[in-house]
Formats: sequence, structure tokens, C-alpha cells
Amino acid sequence: QTSALKISHQFPGGTIKEGDFRDRLVRNFAAEVEKRSKGAMKFEIYPGSSLMKTNAQFSSMRKGALDMALIPLSYAGGEVPELNIGLMPGLVVSYEQAYSWKTKPVGIELTRVLQEKGIVLISWIWQAGGVASRGKPVVEPEDAKGMKIRGGSREMDMILKDAGAAVVSLPSNEIYAAMQTGAMDAAMTSSTSFISFRLEEVAKALTTGRTGAYWFMFEPLMMSKAIFDKLPKDQRDMLMTVGAEMEKFALEAAKKDDIDVAAVYQKAGAKVVDLSDGTIKKWQDIARKTAWKDYGAKNEGCAKLLALAQQTL
Amino acid sequence: MLARSLNWINLQVLRLSMAALVLTSAVLTYSVATRYFFKTATDWQDEASVFMLVGAIFMCTAYVQSMRGHVGIEALATLLPASVNRVRATVVDIVSTLFCSFFAWKSWTLFHEAWAEGQTTSSSFAPPLWIPYSLMAVGMSLLALQLLLQSVLHVAGGDGEGDAK
Amino acid sequence: MSELSIGLSYGAVTLLVMFSGMPIAFALGTVAVTFMYFFMPASSLDTVTQNVYEEMASITLLSIPLFIMKGAAIGKSPAGQDLYSAIHAWLHKVPGGLGIANVFACALFAAMAGSSPATCSAIGSAGIPEMRKRGYSPGFAAGIIAAGGTLGILLPPSIVMILYAVAAEQSLGRLFLAGIGPGLLLVALFAGYAVVRARQEYKQALVIYQQGGPKSAYLIEEHFTLAQKVEMLPRVLPFVILLIGVMVALYGGLATPSETAGLGGLMALGLIAVVYGIWRPKDVAPILTSTLKESTMLMLIIGMSLLYSYVMSHLHISQGAAQWIVAMQLSKWVLLGVILLMVIVLGFFLPPVSIILMTAPIILPPLKAAGFDLIWFGVVMTIVMEMGLIHPPVGLNIFVIKNVAPDIPLKDVIWGVMPFVGLMFGAVFLLCLFPGIVTGLPNLVMGVK
Ligand code: NA
Ligand code: NA
Repeated sequence: QTSALKISHQFPGGTIKEGDFRDRLVRNFAAEVEKRSKGAMKFEIYPGSSLMKTNAQFSSMRKGALDMALIPLSYAGGEVPELNIGLMPGLVVSYEQAYSWKTKPVGIELTRVLQEKGIVLISWIWQAGGVASRGKPVVEPEDAKGMKIRGGSREMDMILKDAGAAVVSLPSNEIYAAMQTGAMDAAMTSSTSFISFRLEEVAKALTTGRTGAYWFMFEPLMMSKAIFDKLPKDQRDMLMTVGAEMEKFALEAAKKDDIDVAAVYQKAGAKVVDLSDGTIKKWQDIARKTAWKDYGAKNEGCAKLLALAQQTL
Repeated sequence: MLARSLNWINLQVLRLSMAALVLTSAVLTYSVATRYFFKTATDWQDEASVFMLVGAIFMCTAYVQSMRGHVGIEALATLLPASVNRVRATVVDIVSTLFCSFFAWKSWTLFHEAWAEGQTTSSSFAPPLWIPYSLMAVGMSLLALQLLLQSVLHVAGGDGEGDAK
Repeated sequence: MSELSIGLSYGAVTLLVMFSGMPIAFALGTVAVTFMYFFMPASSLDTVTQNVYEEMASITLLSIPLFIMKGAAIGKSPAGQDLYSAIHAWLHKVPGGLGIANVFACALFAAMAGSSPATCSAIGSAGIPEMRKRGYSPGFAAGIIAAGGTLGILLPPSIVMILYAVAAEQSLGRLFLAGIGPGLLLVALFAGYAVVRARQEYKQALVIYQQGGPKSAYLIEEHFTLAQKVEMLPRVLPFVILLIGVMVALYGGLATPSETAGLGGLMALGLIAVVYGIWRPKDVAPILTSTLKESTMLMLIIGMSLLYSYVMSHLHISQGAAQWIVAMQLSKWVLLGVILLMVIVLGFFLPPVSIILMTAPIILPPLKAAGFDLIWFGVVMTIVMEMGLIHPPVGLNIFVIKNVAPDIPLKDVIWGVMPFVGLMFGAVFLLCLFPGIVTGLPNLVMGVK
């Protein structure tokens, strides 16, 4: 069979050398597999949600209607509650810890949960993030008090609420306009998205994740199990091998963006602040009694994953 | 009989949808006011609005169809002789019925999945997805029924009797 | 079957089904599902409804019904008539004055709404009947509103520009500012055309009358004393309050763009309740009914067209075409010309949102490499996509007009919009010659890139 495997993602499209690293990762992955399989496997890449809406990707993969996708795992948290662990503030505080998941019990359990739902994890990708604000920087939890902030996920919103912030919910493509007019004071997202959203034009301060963060997002490259299982063994192995090899590229690129975003904002005249271990600890303490508790109480699977993840702290 | 009950249902649905429309504006206005005056979280208003508006739109499709309000390009209708045109209109109604029945069926399976798995949206408000899916399923089923009625009336030769004009 | 032959048959079948008279929404859905059945994995059929739901379940898109409601509250109540009589009293000496007023009204509404059909519907529900009442030919009246409505996506805020900015990784603030100059250019061109055409229609009406034909409303001489004119001014007040209220909420940072839609809708209902005593359910019902009718028709088309474009994307049709163009290694301006031509052809079938999502990732890198400023291109592409909104077979604004003024035959509407399509072509040409119209304002406000 010669039909190409379709890989979908929501990030801006570029080329193999230039652009958003998540798009470049997918292109690198595709090129490498094509090369090694001597053209037996081909890919079509659909950046910028050009195939289907972001939220439709996960369940389309489960049904075998989409071959592969690179998605923030927590986006599927409404469908499979366990997956909210992909963006659990304070549960991951460094890249080293993040990437250690893959081989530890938490990673093995997460892989199993996904398999059970019809998804194969191909490549582990983690990203740190921060806060951009149009006024004072949000560093300590006290800073958030009274600010209109978009946390961007259920768990982050819970923590912000506890810190006294007025949580705002709006689509990610309205962030720029809302920050510009002041309908919103601050937003949280990954360093890479901060760069592509060009929020430095409307933000006066940035809290980065370059020295550590309480906001780490898991956004793996995944594949439909129904499609995966139909492939011959050598091709399956090849996908897994190349996927694992991409993790080094992802780690380096994500760390580079953490540093680059600071430079971009600095150049635009924004105040750039880093997080100390003490501050991360404060946010973690709030997370523990709000988001973690809420997540652990959802079902047994969640409780188990949470316990296993805490072992890596 | 079926025509009359459908018309009655459509009218009730229309009334509910009107209420939903006004309520949605009120909810969004409330969101602006409460954030401005009290600096409280506004994390449920968008989704509540989406549910109400999606619901209103799908639920009203049958009503709109009963008024033949789904716009099409009727350029051919004026060119064809009357008898051929009747065949054309009948075929169009039947194919539309088939498509909408398919869509209604797949909406019910989607609803069933969301119900069985307890799916919610992934926001902090996290309302269950079976709510909008069920509105979509009911609305599209009503639409399919409405189209079926109109097709049958076409075939029976009672031109336009299914239309509540 | 090759990508090319699948693509051609997709287009041909679509045209056939649409011209059969099947409602556009069902036609798009039927064609999409049929091609899905034959050319895509069987499991795709299980994802149809979720795809449509996910496409529609965005508050940005769903603000369209709320904007339509705001327009209907004014247009379907005495508020609209009062507003237009006041405008008429002040502008009746200017040839095409009412037409100009409608172009301006569209531009003002466009500055509040991010979507073109919403703008078209809001202004058209009162604007078209008022213009016809005063003698404008149906096609002309429809053309002004259909074309004026397209400004919705060129003047900020704009759903389409938001998507473009994300896809092209360009500054949204810069892009919004860049749309203002060309937007005003189009306003001027449309208004100028309105003057010329109204004069022409006036002369024709005069000839017909002098030859013993019926007397057109164009020829009714009206006189308003200054006192009368001043007396009419307060009637404009509710509209001004609404306009200022919404603008302050949006640009003053009180409301997000989607919240603005709800706020504006409620304010409009509140105003007609206070000023005109329209608050009883039976009085408000006609407004809400027409809003729901129109929104349902429109949103179902949008939802199904997104399903249609999903199939098109999966079959790699528009991507294939874009890649084919890029691979031709054309010179700078030929490349631009061919790409814009492709956007026009896609505009036959798809709304702007789908065109951007599918083609942007492929056409933008070569355009950038050829030395085009992507902000400039974004504005030019938006204008070209606006043309798609007013030409058949899928032209959302045309369908809105069909709904607002069902008695105007489609043929008249299409002939009525053609001059405006010509003006848009002219505008694109001007932007190529004088890119400063686009880049001037953003460079002034945000500094040269
Ligand atoms: Na606009
Ligand atoms: Na078109």
C-alpha cells in the first residue's frame, strides 16, 4: 500500500528548517522515516488545523480516521479524564524530570492507558511555559490576585482561582486582541506559542520557564492504534525508533525557545522575570490542594497516575 | 396528521430557541459586567453560550426547512418545463432526506459515545458533551422527518403541502 | 484516481448538485459524504458529525447569530425606519446619498463584527427595503449591501484575519491596522459608484416618466426645512448609543470580541424596548424568528462547508493545487497572479476561513521567498476572498440577501454585485501599485517592520 500517512497538528506550518519546532519535528520525523523505509512509508503533513479542528484530532485517531497527530495531551482530557495529567501544574518542574517519565512506572502506565483508548505514543515531547502580562509580571501567586488571566486548562484555572485571579476563558486565537484592549491582563502558554502569537507587541512583562517552571505541557506525537497495528513489524519498529530519536531534537528546541522567547520580549521592551525554586514550590503547594486533589478524585486511574507521577518529583 | 404534529413541535422548538438566543446575550453581557465590577472568574459563559447557540441552530433546522428557508440555487427551476421540474424537486428532496437521515444517525451514535464514556469539554467548567450532541441529534432527526414528509407529499403530487407557509 | 482527477470531479459534482437546486447546506454535505464513502477510510464516516460540531462549536463563529440579532432588532423595528428617514432628510439632495449611507453603515458595523455575512444581514434587513422604497433598483440595492457587507472581514475585528495571522505567524495588530486603509479605499470606491449609478438610474427613471411611464420614487421631490431636519436627529440617538456602547466595550477592553456580540444584541433589544416599547413577547418574536431563520440557514451552510473542506483537505485537492503552482517556479508577479486566481476559484466553493486554513501553509513560504510582505499579501488575499463571498455558487452574502429580500431574483442580485467585484479587482490592482495603502498605517502606529 502506497497511500501516505496523514499527520495533523494545530501549530503554524513552515519548512523542515524554519518555523515552529513542533511543525519541524513532524517534518523531520516524516523525512527520516521515508528515507529509512526507502519510500515504502510516505507522509502528508497538515499544519495549522488544516485537516480538522484541534479538538477532533484525538477521537478521529481513536476511530482510525486520522493516522497521526501531535496534540497537547490534556486537550483530550474531557474525553479521557486520565489525560489531564499532561498539563498538571507543579507536577513536573524540569525537563529532566519530564523526560524521565517515559521509562518510569508513570510513563508505562500512561502508555497503557492510551493503548487501551486506541492510541500509540510515538514521540515524547514536553514544553515549559510561562505567563505574559500587559502590566506587572505574574511571578508569585499573590501577583495573580485580581488579575484577569487565561490559564488555558482546567487545572491551571483552578490554581489561578485559588490565587485570587479572575479567570477568563476565551479561544486561543482571541488572546492577542483581548490583551491588546485589556479585556484580559495575562495569559499562560508555552514559550513557542508566545513567540508565534507575537504577544510581545501587547505585553509588558514575561515570566519565563528557562530556569524552571511549574507549567510543563506534554504534547506527544501519537498514532492511531488501528492503523499502527496494520503495519508490518519492521515499519512499526521504524516508527517507534525514529519517534524516540526525535525526542532529543524536541528537548533542545523547547529549551532554545525558552531562552529565545525571553530575548524576543526583552527586545520589545518587556520586563522578563525567571522563577526561583521557592516560587515554584509555592505554586506547587496550591496545585497540590486544588488541581491535584481534583484530578486524583476523578477515578482510580487518575489517582494511580498521580501517585506514580509524584514518585518522579 | 404528521404534518400538523411536526408544525406544532417546530413552533415549540422555535419558542425555546428564541429564549435561548436572548438568554445567551444576557449570559455574555453578565460575563462582561461581572468581570468589570467584581473581578470574578468568567470561565463558564463562553461554553454555555456555545451550547445554547449550537442547540438553537440545530433545533431550528426543521422549522427553517418547513418554510423552505434553506437557500439553494433555483436557477434551473425557471428554465425547466413544469413536469421535469417536479421530478427535479422530488429528487432533491429525497436526496436531502437521505443525507440528513445519515447525519441524524451519526449524531445519535456520537451522543451515545459521549454519554457512555461520560465525555465532557476539556475546560474548567467541563460540561458534559451529550448536551449539545443530543440537541444536534434531535434537531437533525426532526429535519430528516420534515424532509421525508415533504418528499412524500411531492411524490403524492400534493405540491408544497408539506410547507407551512 | 489521481489527485487531479479526484479534484476535478469533486468540483464538477459539486456544481451539478448545487445547480440542481438542492439547498446549499445539504448539497455540500451530500457531496462531501459521497466522496468520503468512495475515497476515504470507512471510519471517516463515523467522524462526520463530530467534525461538523467541532467546527461550529467556537464562540468566535457562533457570535454570528448574535450580530444578526443586533441588526434585526434595529432593522425589523421602527428604529431602522426612523434612522433611515433621518438620514434621507439630511442626504436626499446628494445623488445616491442613501446608498452612501448604507456603505458607511456597513463599514461601521464591520468595525464591530468579525464576519461578513453578519454585517450584510444586519445592515441589509433595513437598508435594502429603504433603498428600494426610494426608487433604487433591486439589483443595485442588493449589490450595495452584499458588497458593503464584505467589509466585515477587512475592517477589524476580523475572524479571517485572526486565522491568517496565526497561519502566517504575522502580528495580528499589524494586520488589523493594515486592513483599515484598503477598507476605506473600498468604502470610497463603493460610495463613488453609488453616486454614479444612482444618477444613472435617476435619469432613466426621468426618461421613462417623461415618456408617460410610471413615476419612480427617485423622482419624488421632497423638501425638509432645517427645523424638520433637526427634529429628526433624536431618532438617530438610539443607534448612536448602541454604536458607542459597543465600541467602548470592545476597544476599551471591557469585553472580548465574542462577548461584544452578546452585549450588542442585548443592548439593541433593550433600546427598542425603551424607545419604541417593543418588549412584549409577541412584538419581539418576529425579530427573533427572522434572526433564527437566517442564522440557522447560514450556520448550517458554514458547518457543512467546513465538512466539505475537510474532505477536500483529506483528498489533498487544494493542497495539491497549491503545491503544483509553487513547483512551477514562476516569477514574482506571475506567482502572485496564479495564487490569487486559485483563491478566486476556491472562492467558488469555500468560505474564506477554509481557504486560509488549507492553502496558507503551502503558499506563504514561497510568497515570502519571492519577496512579498506577508501582511500586505494577507490584506490582498482577504479582498480576493471577499469577492468569493459575493459570487456564486457558494457566496454567503448572496444567500443572506436571498433571505433578507427573497423577492429579488438571484439573477438580479448577481448582476447587481458584479460592478462591485470589478471595483474590488481595481482595489487589488491599486494595492499592487501603491502598497503603502496597506503598510502605511501599521508602519506609522507600530513602527517600520
Ligand atoms: Na470586522
Ligand atoms: Na463564492
